[in-house]
Amino acid sequence: MQIKINGKGVKAKEGETILEVARRNKIYIPTLCYHPDLKPEGRCRVCLVEVNKKLVTSCNTKVEDKMEIFTNTKRVLEARRLNLELLLSNVSYIRKDFEVAKLAKELGIRKIRFKKYVDISKGRAPIEKDNHKCILCGRCVQVCQNIQKINNIDFVNRGIFTEANTPFNIPLKYSPCTFCGQCALYCPENALRERAFNEKLVKYVENMDLVRDSKFFIVQTAPSIRASLGEIFGMEPGTLVTGKMVSALRKIGFDKVFDTDFGADLTIIEEANEFVERIKKNKNLPLITSCCPSWIKFAEDTYPFLLKNISTCKSPQQMFGAIAKTYYAKKIGVKPENLIVVSVMPCISKKFEAEKLEMRSAGCPDVDVVLTTRELGRIIEKKKIKFAKLKDDEFDLPLGLSSGGGAIFGATGGVTESALRVAYELLTGEKLKKVDFKQIRGFEGIRDATIKIKNRNIRVAIVHGLGNIREMIESGKWKKYHFIEMMACPGGCIGGGGQPRPTTKEIRKKRMEALYRQDKNKEIRVASHNPAIKKIYKEFLGKPLGEKSKKLLHTKYKKRKPKYF
Amino acid sequence: MQILRKSEWEGFKKILRMSRKEVIKKVKESGLKGKSGSNFPTGLKWELMGKGTRYLICNADEGEPGTFKDRFIMEKNPSLLIEGIAIASYAMDVHKAFIYLRGEYSYIKPKLERVIKQSEKYLKKINLKININLGAGSYLCGEETAILESIEGKRPVARQKPPYPSDVGLYGEPTCINNVETLANVPLIFLGEWNNKLELYSLSGDLENPGVYEIEIGTNLKQIVSLGKPRTKPKVIYFGASGGCLPYKKFENLSVNCKTISEQGAMLGPRSLIVCGKDRSIVELSKIITEFFLHESCGYCTPCREGNFRIWELLKKIEEGNGKKSDLKLMEKLAYHIGDTSYCALGSSSTTHLKCAIKYFKEEFLRLCR
Repeated sequence: MQIKINGKGVKAKEGETILEVARRNKIYIPTLCYHPDLKPEGRCRVCLVEVNKKLVTSCNTKVEDKMEIFTNTKRVLEARRLNLELLLSNVSYIRKDFEVAKLAKELGIRKIRFKKYVDISKGRAPIEKDNHKCILCGRCVQVCQNIQKINNIDFVNRGIFTEANTPFNIPLKYSPCTFCGQCALYCPENALRERAFNEKLVKYVENMDLVRDSKFFIVQTAPSIRASLGEIFGMEPGTLVTGKMVSALRKIGFDKVFDTDFGADLTIIEEANEFVERIKKNKNLPLITSCCPSWIKFAEDTYPFLLKNISTCKSPQQMFGAIAKTYYAKKIGVKPENLIVVSVMPCISKKFEAEKLEMRSAGCPDVDVVLTTRELGRIIEKKKIKFAKLKDDEFDLPLGLSSGGGAIFGATGGVTESALRVAYELLTGEKLKKVDFKQIRGFEGIRDATIKIKNRNIRVAIVHGLGNIREMIESGKWKKYHFIEMMACPGGCIGGGGQPRPTTKEIRKKRMEALYRQDKNKEIRVASHNPAIKKIYKEFLGKPLGEKSKKLLHTKYKKRKPKYF
Repeated sequence: MQILRKSEWEGFKKILRMSRKEVIKKVKESGLKGKSGSNFPTGLKWELMGKGTRYLICNADEGEPGTFKDRFIMEKNPSLLIEGIAIASYAMDVHKAFIYLRGEYSYIKPKLERVIKQSEKYLKKINLKININLGAGSYLCGEETAILESIEGKRPVARQKPPYPSDVGLYGEPTCINNVETLANVPLIFLGEWNNKLELYSLSGDLENPGVYEIEIGTNLKQIVSLGKPRTKPKVIYFGASGGCLPYKKFENLSVNCKTISEQGAMLGPRSLIVCGKDRSIVELSKIITEFFLHESCGYCTPCREGNFRIWELLKKIEEGNGKKSDLKLMEKLAYHIGDTSYCALGSSSTTHLKCAIKYFKEEFLRLCR
């Protein structure tokens, strides 16, 4: 059909919205609550256009034949500006990098004529909410309800007292929230955000020189952040910044910079061994992965009958922490409590995991501070390090050496692929020739494949996004597989709740490609071939699933009872 | 009053002998229009229903301040309403109807249930079940799409139109939503001797005799108001909270119908007149009505949520004597802005009263401004 935008004839398809047509024709319409991954709701009223002398929101108005649309009349511009002014009237302060700040600049808002009125509310959960910043765009609610399907937050109260909150204002800590942090990831205003892990310790990290005499700082970086950290400093999504990240961390002042990929390698060896053992005994199948703390919390809250199927392995972060506080601390002669393990994660839930009481192998927390990608970006900015100009650097040995199998942990399907590489060699006793399992890569929410290993058909499934996980479990399909990988965030850790904003489906895909690229360029691609891992088993752990590894690298799960009611 | 006529289900017995199309045609010919204020032809609404499992909803969520005609019908002549629902259901091939009753009217529920039980033998003939749903007190639930959300058990928020409820309504099926008065008028059409021009008006305010009156369309304002016997000389007439207001003195001789009222910038709505006497301050009245919308705004879209709050702030400032002329200007701008850009009908009509007040009583605002 033919429509007119600003007097210019434009072709449009039926069912398209005005915004889609305009964007395709490079006609600019500002948006705020609109997000390409979500259903447009038309809450913020910033994307207004004029049709038939009426103002309509372009994000959710469908085009009609012979429609005449004006995107820049005086009336439209004034209405947009006034709406944004009303929205911002309650915002405490605006950082330059927020979406809202950019928009305010574009629409030319200099002064806000209204006063602020709402108080800050803070909780003790890993996610905190700042009502001073919330503009009720509704993205978090939509993510929680439609994508993650937890339904933990919705709008409560009405009118000016409306806020996005849990039912009956239960503190997040006691609610079924899994701390996946997708709500925070979609927030255009940093109103929902990660809680600073332990404020005292974070201050340590920011001013390490003051306590250097007594403390020894090491840092581990998660597999997925090297594909996304660059975005904070204006690089293209999908740029690998491993080397720059390492030298930035050194500049911040860490004594040693290690890699969580090492922990991932360790995890995969334990997990593959557990898998092979279960397959041989044909017991507690399918084996479900345990790397994702949000998924674990979800299972403990909602599906306790699955707990026996979940692998008992700790997550890579906690395995690394346990090894660092026992093996590494002894090796360098530092007391475990003086060894500060900082981890940089794409995830908010990892904060919750590190605080768990059972994660204390040496009498003190295995991981002391968890920072998200965004927080690391903020620290780098604070220290005035010019990230783009940094030289590439290498991880320290021994805990910085990793295989390609660890590198792809951050993408959906990565854990499965890497586990299959190890399990293949364990089951057959031969060396794997073709390490790429391309049939399990992809971006669909639920994928499955059958892999033939020595007369055995191994059925694997990969699920990402809590909404898909719920679908998988409630449909009962999970029973027919041998191995299931569950990741709470869409796309796996590369789309995690602590990643840089904005994150859309396209950006997730680009980050994923970067990780597979990294895997391809690695010399060692199977976790069990990693010499550092071999050494640690020889010197310290003994054998996979041995007594010591069971004590240090495995954990238990228990059903969570609702505490609040 | 014709609405109080006891029908004994005669109209229903008549329509059973007619085909569905004939019933709709008859309703169309009668010229019955929606009495909730929309004035949409009822017959046409019935005809436009899409295919699927159809539902009928009787909108008894009478939330507009100063409106109580539906309550009057449900209290005095509920069987006429049930008969109307039965006829409408027959005409549209509906087998499940809902009465969405305002939460504050819960005392009427047993009465309605009793009537439904008594008329079961008629309802069985067309295999109709009538459910009564109680609202939880939100004014927005009077909006037709918010009713759907509420019955489905969700937070009442208006839906984006199109698709209209006649195609995608309750549980995604075509749904017809009619007002109580509209449905109660339906059986009368088939009884003959039905006067199309008689409507129910709710009069309230500074009156000796407030109440529901049956008035012919086109009666002038003075006659209508005099029925209620004003205590003092009326100054301003509010057409409910969302309908705006008109100065009494200027429009004494205006014949009241939807067109004439909307020409003057107000909106007749569900025919409720709140008469305010000469000792009332227009700024105070505006503030009271804004407080009502502040309380009832659902918080979905920016202009209604934030804008009404800011208007309330400005009104308070002006009332206390701290306002400036620029504040009045800003308030007027906000009032038109909210009307222009809000998401649903509640938002866009929430400032009609202020627009009218500033239009007709500007001096009074200016007197309070510094």
